[in-house]
This record gives sequence, structure tokens and C-alpha cells, in this order.
Amino acid sequence: MGYFKDILVGGWSLVKGLEVTIKRLYRPVVTLQYPRHKIEMSPSYRGHIELKRFPDTGSHYCVACGTCMRVCPSGVIKLQGEKDKALDVKKVVHYYIDFSHCSLCGLCVESCPMQTLEFSTEYELADESRWDGVIDLVKYFEESAI
Amino acid sequence: MAGVMEHVLGNEVGRLIVGLIVILIFSQLNALFLVWLERKVAGHIQVRIGPKEVGPFGLLQTIVDGLKLIGKELITPKRADKILFIIAPVLVFVPVLVPFIVLPFSKSLPLNDMNVGLLVVFSFSTINVLAILIAGWGSNNKYALLGAIRSVAQNIAYEIPLLLSVLSVVLMTKTLQMSKIVEAQSSYWFFLVQPIAALIYFICATAETNRAPFDIPEAESELVAGFHTEFSGMRFGLFFLAEYTNVFVVCAVATTLFLGGWTGPFGYSLGIPGIVWFLAKTYLLVFVIMWFRWTFPRLRFDQLITFSWKVLIPLALANLVITAGVIKLI
Repeated sequence: MGYFKDILVGGWSLVKGLEVTIKRLYRPVVTLQYPRHKIEMSPSYRGHIELKRFPDTGSHYCVACGTCMRVCPSGVIKLQGEKDKALDVKKVVHYYIDFSHCSLCGLCVESCPMQTLEFSTEYELADESRWDGVIDLVKYFEESAI
Repeated sequence: MAGVMEHVLGNEVGRLIVGLIVILIFSQLNALFLVWLERKVAGHIQVRIGPKEVGPFGLLQTIVDGLKLIGKELITPKRADKILFIIAPVLVFVPVLVPFIVLPFSKSLPLNDMNVGLLVVFSFSTINVLAILIAGWGSNNKYALLGAIRSVAQNIAYEIPLLLSVLSVVLMTKTLQMSKIVEAQSSYWFFLVQPIAALIYFICATAETNRAPFDIPEAESELVAGFHTEFSGMRFGLFFLAEYTNVFVVCAVATTLFLGGWTGPFGYSLGIPGIVWFLAKTYLLVFVIMWFRWTFPRLRFDQLITFSWKVLIPLALANLVITAGVIKLI
């Protein structure tokens, strides 16, 4: 009797398997046609850092204090500020980060006294030269405004 | 023009020539379509898209692939048996075209409705095994030879239940003529009265065409590509075309034997022409074979042989004996 039971049980398991695959057949595909369609990146994604835009001023709050530059364990941040005589505040003019050496530890974001740094969702970072990893965040900030 | 057509088709030789040209074109287009379908089915079962770049829905992808294969160099290994190596792809492709002569696409469409139609189909599909053995032996490659040996063992094991299940239908209709078998099913299809034979036929047909889960002769993970490891360019292409044409042929035979060929369900044709019924049923079965491939993992070799000798053959024999007894009683 075990002979027929084996056949029936085995056959039923095969039917179950077919049921699983036919359900997949009607499911919408998950493949994204990459260069033509792009995915919305999750906010928790860590790209290189960027200057946060605040809605009240429409600008960032970076005062070029240099905390991020000093705290960075990889030493990839270099920035330069200039005093705005009229407003009597210091403003950043150059903010360079060598992303090819960045370990994405996030210490700069945490230590920023003005809380004006955040991780961007930039992911298309492949380039031809190692110097292409150097990003000017001020320029990036101005371009992203457009 | 109509007069010329009538003259050509009325003539026996003319009908044969036109028929052969149609068969050649149909088998090529069918194979190209099936490769595309296989990739689409595979894609969607794995929640992917499948080919979509070349042509609408990627339909021209396989044609472009075929052109690429034609353009490739034909490499013959140094120590291969030259003659066998060259004739193997031809020998594998030509026999799969022969069954098209007797396949009853519709009431008036079998090219030559022989009274031994079923016999022609199965005798020529057996040559396929010889061609695979020649290909494996002629390549002088251990993987190719192993694949060929496995293929022969598998085909011998599965040919028996296949023919036994077909025989139970032949016992019911008392004819080997394809069109007579279809006409016998005008009121009900035979898979309703012969479900075990239909199932055994379909399982064995999958094994005969070396399709997954019975694709151990070309098991990629163990044997590179099995018997066609050493073949390149269009020689490989012929093996590929033969495989897909073979799939179509076994499904067409299954349609003829068990699904009523060109007839509609229970004799209602619903105004749909016979050839549409026939092709729809055949492609449905082809889809099921593809569905098998993307569902079931490959069998181990001993499981494969055990399954045939311990399950399929006894069941097919019992089915045949019961069929014979019932026919005698009625």
C-alpha cells in the first residue's frame, strides 16, 4: 500500500509546486528598467553627505566652523569660510569631501553644531578617475536648488 | 493565380513540395517563438520581465540570436570523429521534421494522412536518440559522451511506458491513422476515459524531449552542456531548434491522442476553425512543459530510472490490461 501512497503524496507535492510557480507568473514584475526608470531611494540610504536646505531661509546654516573637518577619522573633509561683513556671520565658500576615502561613519553629521549636514540619496557615483570622488558640496548644493 | 494554386495543390507531387516548404518555415518560426516564450515564461515565473529590447515584447530577440549563431565559426575539435561530428546535428534535426507530414492540424490539413501515422511519428522520434549518441561519441569529449550515454539510458527507459500508454488509445480506436483517432474523439476527448495513459504519456514525452526535470543528459551543473558541449555556431543552433521542434511534436501528438485534435470540447467547435483548436491545445501543453521546467528541480539519475521502471511501466501495463479487458467486455 505504501507504493500507491508514495505516488499520491509525491504527485500532490508536485501539484503544490506548480501552484507556487503559476502564482508567481501573474505577479507584477519587480525588475526595474534601470537607466529609463529609477527607484525612489529610501531616506535611510547613506550616500555622500550634503548640506541640508532649511525651508525658513531656503539655504543651509553652515558657518564653516570646521567641527566636521576635525572630527572626520578619515580626514576627507576640507572647507573654507568667508565672513559676510554685512550680516556679520561666517559663511562657507568651499566644502570639499573626498568620497572615495569616506567610510560613511556619520560623525560629521552627528557633530555638526548647526545640524546642517545630512546623508544624500545620491547613488550614481561611478567615475573614471580617483579624483572624480572629490565633491564640492557648495556647488552640489547650488546645483540641487535648480 | 487561383488556377495555378489549384493545379499545384491538386497534384500529389506539388502538394508534397508546397507542404514541405510550409513545414520547414513553420518549424523554424515555431522554434524561434518557443525560445522566446520559454524566456518570457521563465522571466515571469521568476518575477522578472524577460527579453523586451529587440522588437515588440522582445519578439525579434531569438531571430537576432539565430543570426548571431549563423555568423559564428564552426569549430571541430582536433580529435573528434570528423564525419560523425558533422552529420550529428543534421541527423538530429531532420527526423523531427518528418512527424509534421502526418500531424493532423485540421480535418483536411495532414500533408499525407497515412494509415501508419502514429508509427511514423514514434519511429522517427526514436532516431533522435541515435543522433544524440553520435553527437556525444563523435565529440571525443568525456562530458559529451556521458551526456549521450545518459540520454540513451533515459530514452530506453521512457520509450516503453510512452508506447504502452499510446497503445491503450490505439486499442480503443483500432487504428494508427491520426485523423481516425481524432474522429473517434468527436463526442468526448480521450483523456477523460484514459487519464492515467494521458498522464504517463505526458511525463514520458517530457523525458523524451530531454526537458527538465528529466534534462540530465544536458545537466549544466555536472556535464557543461551534455552531448552538445563541443558544438558551436549553427551546429549548436540545430540541436536547439530540434529540441524545441521536438517539444512541439510531442505536444501535438498528445493533443491528437488525448485532447481531441482539431475538435472542440464534446463536439462543439464553437465556430472556431479546427487548426486554431489544434494549435491552441498544443501550445497550452507546450506551456505546461515550460511551466514544469521552471518549477521542478532535476532528478538524480537513479531516481529517474527507478521512476520509469518501478512506477510508470507497471502503471502503464496495468492500464493497458484493464483497457483491453474493458474493450473485450463492451
